[in-house]
Amino acid sequence: MAETLTVDRLEAWYGDSKVLHGMDFNIRAGEVVTLLGRNGAGKTTTLKAIMGLMERRAGSIRVDGAEIIAAAPYDIARKGLALCPEERGIFSSLSVRENLLLPPALAKGGMTIAQVLDLFPNLKERLDSQGTKLSGGEQQMLALGRILHTGARILLLDEPTEGLAPVIIQQIGRTIEKLKALGFTILLVEQNVAFASGLADRHYVVELGRVVDEIPGPELDARLDTLKTYLGL
Amino acid sequence: MTMIFGVPAAVLYGQLLLGLINGSFYAMLSLGLAVIFGMMNIVNFAHGAQYMLGAMTAWLLLNFLGIGYWWSLLLAPLIVGASGLVIERFLLRRLYKLDHLYGMLLTFGLALMFQGIFTNAFGSSGQPYKIPPLLSGGSNLGFMFLPNYRAWVIVASLTVCLTTWYVIERTKLGAYLRAATENPMLVQTFGIRVPRMIMLTYGAGVALAALAGVLAAPIYQVGPTMGVDLIIVVFAVVVIGGMGSIMGSIVTGFMVGLIEGLTKAFYPELSSTIVFVLMAVVLLLRPAGLFGSKPEPAGAAHQEKLEIAGPNPRRQMIAFAAMAALFALAPLVVYPGFMMKAMLFALFACAFNLLAGYGKLVSFGHSMFLGTAGYVCGHAAKVWGFTPELAVLAGTAAAALLGVASGWLAIRRSGIYFAMVTLAFAQMIYFVALQAPFTGGEDGLQGVPRGHLFGVIDLADPVNLYGFVLAIFLGGFFLIMRLVGSPFGLVLKGLSDHEPRAQSLGLDTARYKLVAFTLSAALAGLAGSTKAITSQIVTLSDVHWSMSGEVLLMTFLGGVGTLFGPVVGAFVVVAMQNYLASLGQWVIVIHGAIFVLCVLAFRRGIVGELIAFAGRRTNRGGAPAHSGPGH
Ligand SMILES: Nc1ncnc2c1ncn2[C@@H]1O[C@H](COP(=O)(O)OP(=O)(O)OP(=O)(O)O)[C@@H](O)[C@H]1O
Ligand SMILES: [Mg+2]
Repeated sequence: MAETLTVDRLEAWYGDSKVLHGMDFNIRAGEVVTLLGRNGAGKTTTLKAIMGLMERRAGSIRVDGAEIIAAAPYDIARKGLALCPEERGIFSSLSVRENLLLPPALAKGGMTIAQVLDLFPNLKERLDSQGTKLSGGEQQMLALGRILHTGARILLLDEPTEGLAPVIIQQIGRTIEKLKALGFTILLVEQNVAFASGLADRHYVVELGRVVDEIPGPELDARLDTLKTYLGL
Repeated sequence: MTMIFGVPAAVLYGQLLLGLINGSFYAMLSLGLAVIFGMMNIVNFAHGAQYMLGAMTAWLLLNFLGIGYWWSLLLAPLIVGASGLVIERFLLRRLYKLDHLYGMLLTFGLALMFQGIFTNAFGSSGQPYKIPPLLSGGSNLGFMFLPNYRAWVIVASLTVCLTTWYVIERTKLGAYLRAATENPMLVQTFGIRVPRMIMLTYGAGVALAALAGVLAAPIYQVGPTMGVDLIIVVFAVVVIGGMGSIMGSIVTGFMVGLIEGLTKAFYPELSSTIVFVLMAVVLLLRPAGLFGSKPEPAGAAHQEKLEIAGPNPRRQMIAFAAMAALFALAPLVVYPGFMMKAMLFALFACAFNLLAGYGKLVSFGHSMFLGTAGYVCGHAAKVWGFTPELAVLAGTAAAALLGVASGWLAIRRSGIYFAMVTLAFAQMIYFVALQAPFTGGEDGLQGVPRGHLFGVIDLADPVNLYGFVLAIFLGGFFLIMRLVGSPFGLVLKGLSDHEPRAQSLGLDTARYKLVAFTLSAALAGLAGSTKAITSQIVTLSDVHWSMSGEVLLMTFLGGVGTLFGPVVGAFVVVAMQNYLASLGQWVIVIHGAIFVLCVLAFRRGIVGELIAFAGRRTNRGGAPAHSGPGH
């Protein structure tokens, strides 16, 4: 399968402090790949760097072979990437409907709004509420749902299970499976190993701004102890 | 004749109509300010100038191209709005990561430039603009006569305001704007070109101001200064309503206009100051404004703050002694009148810097202390026959009192709101000075006697006078120098850097700020009082907003937060005024250009840049010593 997203020697800085020290990894079309790592390892920063949100970054990021390391965020979106950010990024001055409809469709092939709402029926009754009045789980669904109708094929999901109840986590897990079945390519940042293990084709372990290990999905159970050492569990 | 509470009904209705008209303009302008601030976190000081540009453009279109009112209503906002796009693209865009005050300073500079350029070209007097024939005449409503044009202005303004509200709150475009206000980075990842959106928003806000200008042209005189006083009132409106809500701006604008109208009918003496009184009341009861303010994002780590260089006591003393010697000998080569004027402005700027540089409370209204002290001192010397030192003391005390009162209210806000509040208070003092019996109004307080210091030393003698001014300047400067280095100064600086932390340490931050504010006011008053004695005249220009602008200019040019910067800045600005006096209004344009340059290219000012330069050199020179074997 073709490599869809390739990250080479990616470096990034906050002001003068360097946070990414050469991240290397790739994702093939249709895969679900996770970035696992301790707090502060640089997972969120990696997603931000891919989306062009880190002001200072170096190295190479290619989408279907096209270099985007120097591109502006609004152009990166046009390459078919979309971000579901840490802490969800729901806009409080927008209603649920406005939040959902905000991202414009940049390419064909996205879901229709009706399909999105079928995926997340909870949102249907809440369309006119203020975005941030939703529960944490509903906000997560909204954050995920709003990037599904844009036509983006590569979804970057930053800890979608953070702070959610087990039932909701299960629901999110099923949704990600459905999205994979629909052909979406997914880069998932997680701390919840149990959640990630059931979903991903491959796992990358991130430590201090570098990828230090790659674990294929089927081997995860066998290498669980190593992984736990990495994560300090 | 029908009377309502002792006022003829016709007068009351007339004033209410006038209030509604003024309110229309307040609403349109504060709406534009709120939209721009929401998106860009910039208080667009040029808003008044851009309103003026709208009116002037309409006037120029009519007089030079024969293009009439209706086309102007469309063309002037487009032209002025386009100039706004250029301003955003090449100037404002560089400021987004800086402290928000820089945006206010830069647009203040732009306002000065626009105003100066147009005054040069067309003179400062207003020009009439004819009401379009379609709207001339009026109708009798039975209880009052309603001119058609005025009715049109109210309807047009309401339509524009409500349309803007609708677009922002109810449309897809508005959703983009609101989302980008909250989290511009995230909105960009959806493929939306936020920088372009910001540019267009600024252009639209500016176009709105220009549209208000065209609407105003047939009502008020069209002239280069028509926007200045208005924008200060609009700042007060913004403080009253808060910039947090679009509808809030509209409602507050009309409401303030109506209250002003009512005041004109019932108590005309108060009509020019009522807005500022309202603002004071709101600050007292609801500091965040009636409709809540968009909070200023707390000084995030990445924001470049107004910079400050650290003090070094020994070097300071040496520099102080050198300055004292230099100034004492200066009259041998420099015209003493120039020296005295420059020293007093230097003291004024140092006083301002105490608050702006060390307390990081940048006041746009320090002229009120300079002028009030001047009037009181002049009055005491002239009418009450005080000796000069007592008169100066009286003036200084008056400024300190005013400082306590205005500071008590102003420190409830910080940053840009503090700037607007102080500006508004100063404007109120200006109107008081304009109307009060003892200030001499437009003529000023003339013939202030110099008198005998302590009853013995004759200040008519130039040497004595120079010594007097020198002593006051050096004394004031020394006091500030010691204050800044004292525990008080360190706390002040510390709490301006990390207010929440200072509060959690149990410091009463408000108290420190108020003391700093009062000291700054008193020292500015000391300069103003002494100036009254030396120049023997106090005029409205001493309390005018442009004087507050000058002290800002001196301080930022010389180096805000540096000890000697304000002195250097004051000498440069006063020298410029002396030697460039023949250029007339171009001096204002130059002032404006210096503001723009300072904000864009050298924010540390002359002295700050020198210190930074010296610091870099010593660092470079000293580095090898630490990093092992070098050359
Ligand atoms: N805005 C910022 N400014 C400065 N440093 C930051 C900023 N955001 C993150 N960092 C630092 O960068 C490093 C990586 O942070 P990042 O948010 O990428 O970690 P993470 O792997 O996503 O952690 P978590 O699992 O806690 O979300 C951390 O050391 C963090 O302190
Ligand atoms: Mg993270």
